[in-house]
Amino acid sequence: MATAREHNLKIGVSGIRGVVGEFLTPALAADFAQAFGTYVGGGRVVVGRDTRSSGPMIEHAVCCGLLAAGCEVVRVGILPTPTIQVYVGATHARGGIAITASHNPAEYNALKLFNHEGLFFNSYERGELIDLYHQSDFHHSTNAQIRGISDDLERPMRLHFDRVLARVDAAPIRAHAFRLGLDAVNGAGSIVSQRFLREELGCTLEAIAVDPAQTFPRPAEPTPEVLGEVAALVRDRGCALGFAQDPDGDRLAIIDETGRVLDNNDVLALVVDAVLVRLPGDVAVNLTTSAAIDDIARTHGRRVYRTPVGEANVVERMKAVGAVIGGEGSSGGIIFPAVQYCRDSYTGMAFVLDRLAATGEPLSSLAARLPRYFRKMGKAAFAHGRLGPLMQAVEAAFPDAEIDRTDGLKLIWADRSIHVRASNTEPLLRMSVEARQESVCQDLYARVSSALG
Amino acid sequence: MTPARSLRISHVGLRGIVGPGGLTARHGIDFACAFGTFLPEGGAVVLGRDPRASGLMLSEGVKSGLAATGHDVIDLGVVSTPVTQHAIRRLGAAGGISIGASHNAAEWNALKFFGQNGTYLSTGEASELLDIYHLRKFHFTGYRGLGAVRSESGALDAYLTELSDVYDFDHLRRFRVVVDCCNGTSGLILRRLMERFHLPFVLINERVEGVEFAHEPNTSARIVGLQLAPLVQPLKADAGFLFDVDSDRVAIATEEGDAASEEMVMPLLADYVLPRSEGKLIIANLSTTALLEEIAGRHGGTVVRVPVGRQAAMDALSAHRPEQIALAGEGTGAVMLSRFRFVYDGITSMLGILSLMAERGEPVSRILAGYPRYRMLKGQAPLAPRNVPALLLALQQEFAGGRQNTLDGLRVDWPNEWFHVRVSQTESIVRVIAERRGDAPHELYNAVMERVWGMS
Repeated sequence: MATAREHNLKIGVSGIRGVVGEFLTPALAADFAQAFGTYVGGGRVVVGRDTRSSGPMIEHAVCCGLLAAGCEVVRVGILPTPTIQVYVGATHARGGIAITASHNPAEYNALKLFNHEGLFFNSYERGELIDLYHQSDFHHSTNAQIRGISDDLERPMRLHFDRVLARVDAAPIRAHAFRLGLDAVNGAGSIVSQRFLREELGCTLEAIAVDPAQTFPRPAEPTPEVLGEVAALVRDRGCALGFAQDPDGDRLAIIDETGRVLDNNDVLALVVDAVLVRLPGDVAVNLTTSAAIDDIARTHGRRVYRTPVGEANVVERMKAVGAVIGGEGSSGGIIFPAVQYCRDSYTGMAFVLDRLAATGEPLSSLAARLPRYFRKMGKAAFAHGRLGPLMQAVEAAFPDAEIDRTDGLKLIWADRSIHVRASNTEPLLRMSVEARQESVCQDLYARVSSALG
Repeated sequence: MTPARSLRISHVGLRGIVGPGGLTARHGIDFACAFGTFLPEGGAVVLGRDPRASGLMLSEGVKSGLAATGHDVIDLGVVSTPVTQHAIRRLGAAGGISIGASHNAAEWNALKFFGQNGTYLSTGEASELLDIYHLRKFHFTGYRGLGAVRSESGALDAYLTELSDVYDFDHLRRFRVVVDCCNGTSGLILRRLMERFHLPFVLINERVEGVEFAHEPNTSARIVGLQLAPLVQPLKADAGFLFDVDSDRVAIATEEGDAASEEMVMPLLADYVLPRSEGKLIIANLSTTALLEEIAGRHGGTVVRVPVGRQAAMDALSAHRPEQIALAGEGTGAVMLSRFRFVYDGITSMLGILSLMAERGEPVSRILAGYPRYRMLKGQAPLAPRNVPALLLALQQEFAGGRQNTLDGLRVDWPNEWFHVRVSQTESIVRVIAERRGDAPHELYNAVMERVWGMS
């Protein structure tokens, strides 16, 4: 059975990710960094990381590979991925590497690679880079070509904060002196989020899991099932809301004052609404994201562009159409180009607090006014070679739907939709169903599941 | 220009010219992983490097490899190899790695490996390390067992304190000494030594450099003659010393402004150490001057001749009890003293020679003048490895009248002269050395060279 295989190492167009030890080794990390350094052609490269115990080990390997390629390394230490991306773009570095396996468990680590603007490479560039890696066609510097390592530990945070704060009305937020819950999963947001919320936005915090020296106390992905502790804290301590991050601070989960964890699509919807209030422009989201975004954009007279799943795809489209806000509702990713083309939990925090301060309403009522949809997500394993017939079976089961094949199969009706796509990393089909009525949603999900056998 | 074989992986470690086709990041990482696998689980490893720019790149890779195999790393930064070895013992570490290419030009680098107590690896241990490296089956600990890296800045002072326990700096303060640091680690050591013990040294080429050294970092008499010796008299110095980049070798200029042969470092130290040492054995390679036997004879010492190369010296050391041995070394100016636990260390050698000057109340030129005169001629010729056995056989037949030693190529001794023919380990050449008590052994040297050229 295909799914029984453990996916301990993945080297592909999205970089390199694996279980540290036998799989993700110092040599692999250094080789990949050297390939990257060769690809960007030397020059200044920024290196940061999240709080995983393997971070320093991988960081040394990455620095080694970059130096060997003739790059000048600027270490920024433990920082959220979006902060690193902002810094790469703002300091005109040649590129950047974030050492983080994002929402994967603690035994994993990975390299996220950024270009000179602090963006993920586009798909063509990623293809070139991986070819270069496979050919081991690295630049090997001679002694005279080898540059050094420097540290810049304070400036990145300041740059990031300033960009976010320039886009919201911070004074009323500070005046409200919100009491907030925070769960940073002992990740890269542990220190940064406390500083951002306390010192920049005048909030009082009920913070848990904000010790970067400790391991992740809960599964790394901030899904509703694992946020019970911070949710209880928000409810019991009278907090206005709670924020929860993943280890590298790109994803954001939000808990309302009653202790309910909002659906990721609703978080994105809230932020899209808040941004469009302040900044006119269009929206781009991935195919799986809720139709609630379309409803909200419509109320602002704006258009929504749909893209394949994946941050790089969304970013590419946003740049092409000049979207002012976008993201991936399915995974808690908010992308706000005015700060940086990347998933940024701090943009999310600031805009939600901005709305709260501007309206004076509790979060639960803001959320209740969002377009109401019912959603059900699931996954099904498939045997290699069976993907095509399965997709055809789903299509045949719903002959009346409008079809979008940009990424897998999306079946669309006026008030409901189905999205079925193969995972990029495992032999799994991911299903996502959305409808205006709960019964319709359940019925659709059951029909898709049976079509997939 | 890159020699045909710049990269060399052997029992003494790994060295080569950094860059394409030579020493790369991957070599450093894989060797560190092998060393981490070889060492007992969990022990800390001390890491030091010389100032070459490539040292930073290699040290990052080494830290990663050691951490991944579960070893904490104690990073000393830019220090001499002897300071690294000293710190291993003081800190109770499981081993150590020194990154530096000693007397080689700036574009070279190398990794040297040490066991606990800072000793060089024995041949058996080095073989095991090489096997692990070649197999590339490393023992990686999971994400929970990774080693941590920390910096340590007290290593130099602890080392200097030990030197001050052995050498009487009050007696050495009278000497005005000029030192050519060749932009290497000796500058850091001697500057601190001067601060702490108020020694009137004059340092030149003191600033540590990563890319360009003031001159070839070689402790040969030729370099001393070109760079240091001309400065000694103008500076009114009592002696001059010149170090290689990682301070394990030293060379001498006399107060008269002459470059002493690098061969003289070992006899001077033997002269100083033997009278105060319980051990009377001197371990020296087959190419080192026969003056050693005469000096040893004056103090009841004996010279044990071994093949060229550090590993042969280590094997000879391990075949004896440490207290039997006074010193070990080679004619290049790399000498280890038993008092300092057999570490090639130019700094302890320099202090030993200064102590001899203080004890005798004589300048170094006069001490050297008191030794019988030996003259050495050195040369080399290209030779394909397949022709080596035939050459050695021919030489054995031609010089059948002398006492022959075939431990390393061929050495033939007569009462007043000898020659040694050996094969280079890095290039397809044979090296010829001939020495004679009195005038230079032109006749013998020419006869041997003629035979060598005839085969090449």
